[in-house]
Amino acid sequence: MTHPSQTTLALYAGQDLGWFARRRTERHLAHCLECRMEVRKFASVSEELAGLNELPAIPWNRLASEMKANIRVGLAAGECVRPEPAGGLAAWVSGARALAACGGVVALLAAGLFLERPTPAPPEMASGSAVLRATADGIELNQGGQTLSLRHARSGNVTYSAGAQGSMRAGYVDADTGNVTINKLYVQ
Amino acid sequence: MFSKFAILLAAAAALSAQDMPLDPVKINLPADSPLMLVSENLGESHVSRRGSAVVLDLDVTLTLHNSSANRVRGVTLLVSAQEVTPGGKASVSAPSLDVAPNQNFPMRINLRLLRPAQMGGGQLVQVNLDGVLFQDFSFYGPNRLDSRRTMTAWEMEAQQDRKYFKSILAARGIDGLKQAMLESLNRQAERPRLDVQVSRGPAVGSAAVAEHNARFAFLHFPDSPVEPVEGWAEIAGNEARNPRIDVRNVTSKQVRYVEIDWIVSDRQGQRFMAGSVPASGPAFNLKAGGTSRVLQDTTLRISKDGGAPLSIAGMTGFVGQVEFADGKIWIPNRDSLANAQLLGILEPSPEEQRLMDLYRKKGPKALADELGKF
Repeated sequence: MTHPSQTTLALYAGQDLGWFARRRTERHLAHCLECRMEVRKFASVSEELAGLNELPAIPWNRLASEMKANIRVGLAAGECVRPEPAGGLAAWVSGARALAACGGVVALLAAGLFLERPTPAPPEMASGSAVLRATADGIELNQGGQTLSLRHARSGNVTYSAGAQGSMRAGYVDADTGNVTINKLYVQ
Repeated sequence: MFSKFAILLAAAAALSAQDMPLDPVKINLPADSPLMLVSENLGESHVSRRGSAVVLDLDVTLTLHNSSANRVRGVTLLVSAQEVTPGGKASVSAPSLDVAPNQNFPMRINLRLLRPAQMGGGQLVQVNLDGVLFQDFSFYGPNRLDSRRTMTAWEMEAQQDRKYFKSILAARGIDGLKQAMLESLNRQAERPRLDVQVSRGPAVGSAAVAEHNARFAFLHFPDSPVEPVEGWAEIAGNEARNPRIDVRNVTSKQVRYVEIDWIVSDRQGQRFMAGSVPASGPAFNLKAGGTSRVLQDTTLRISKDGGAPLSIAGMTGFVGQVEFADGKIWIPNRDSLANAQLLGILEPSPEEQRLMDLYRKKGPKALADELGKF
């Protein structure tokens, strides 16, 4: 499967794609979890940036305008001192550029082969009743070979308890938030 | 002509809606919720492939805002992934909070889903608010997971634990508090741990292992509103199945929920906390002065920490929680648990975990300051 580029996904997340590209990207996203996750990440970053814009102490918008103006000045100055291009096909196909271009083509082919390689057979989906258990990094519900796990990442001192009505609980102090967190899985 | 054109437009719109991609995770908070979603950070979340299965690693930190006029003490989020685990659900709770009105606080959900790649798109994970518990024990939320009872019991335990450590601080000063914390930490370090697997429905144990009915012994607390009368479970090697316990309501109020905590012991007499046996719902009717049966169709497979099967030699039960029909809750007090020598077997309350963590990271002075806030 060919995935849209990161740029396309970022533009999609920001609703900045044109109609046709948007429709094409949507068709891909409907079937591709990986890209949906990327879009979600871009969208969440964009939300956080919007929040930053509202910080009262820092005049982000004024800073942005100044930076844009400085960039324009820099580009204009660059145009003034830019030497005339050497021109000719030989300059393009010579030396390092040609090597880089060939390398890019090879990398593209290798990536294509890797992505489209024959995948191994699916893991055997065991049938039977749902089982809850504690694992090294959390608690897990396994049903027919599909699993749902709640994990405690880097947090230590985890306590586990089982409920005979079909539940499993893990309690710990989250290393990042500092909050006591209690994860629980249920099976009916 | 016009009608054909309209039908074509409608079909195109329907197709477009069908193809519209959905997020892998969706956070739903009701419009009248006392919590508002400020932001969600997907951190290191990613999707990978394992053969023809897809693994979704979701590590999302939500920043929530308390828009109520009351301090928040606990939050429970319902996490569902019906497409992956039909009938299965999950929750993430943050008890022992103290969030003032208009304050933000984080909640983290870290989960992994493994499912076949060929399953359709759409939202894999839905996160809904199940409940918010406030300082005055008022509650908001749909309460599908009975989180009102659970979080109320946690907050009652928290109050008991804070009261206990504050009384030590008042009587024996900072050195006494330090000593009490070290005792708690030692108890937790030495607490014997079990690896328990839970499965529902008919047992599928090994036919080679002889099965027998084992009787519960019971611990009685003087102030318990419900008394265990007698109980059994089927034991086969390291499996305990289908516990059934008769209980009597010794109060004049109807009871709607009882939880019996279940301790097993091995042949050397060492005791381990195996789990709890709850009973509620229409089938469980415990009227004032009446008797009813706590019954679960389940199998616990028990191993010692490290994987060796535990040969179950004895079982002990005690009443761990009671909820009356009017919503009032009873839990055993800390003295009762200490007198029955259960503190070294039971897991610590969420609040005791928090206080131990605070002591470990910031020392006894910070702990004393924290206790002074309540």
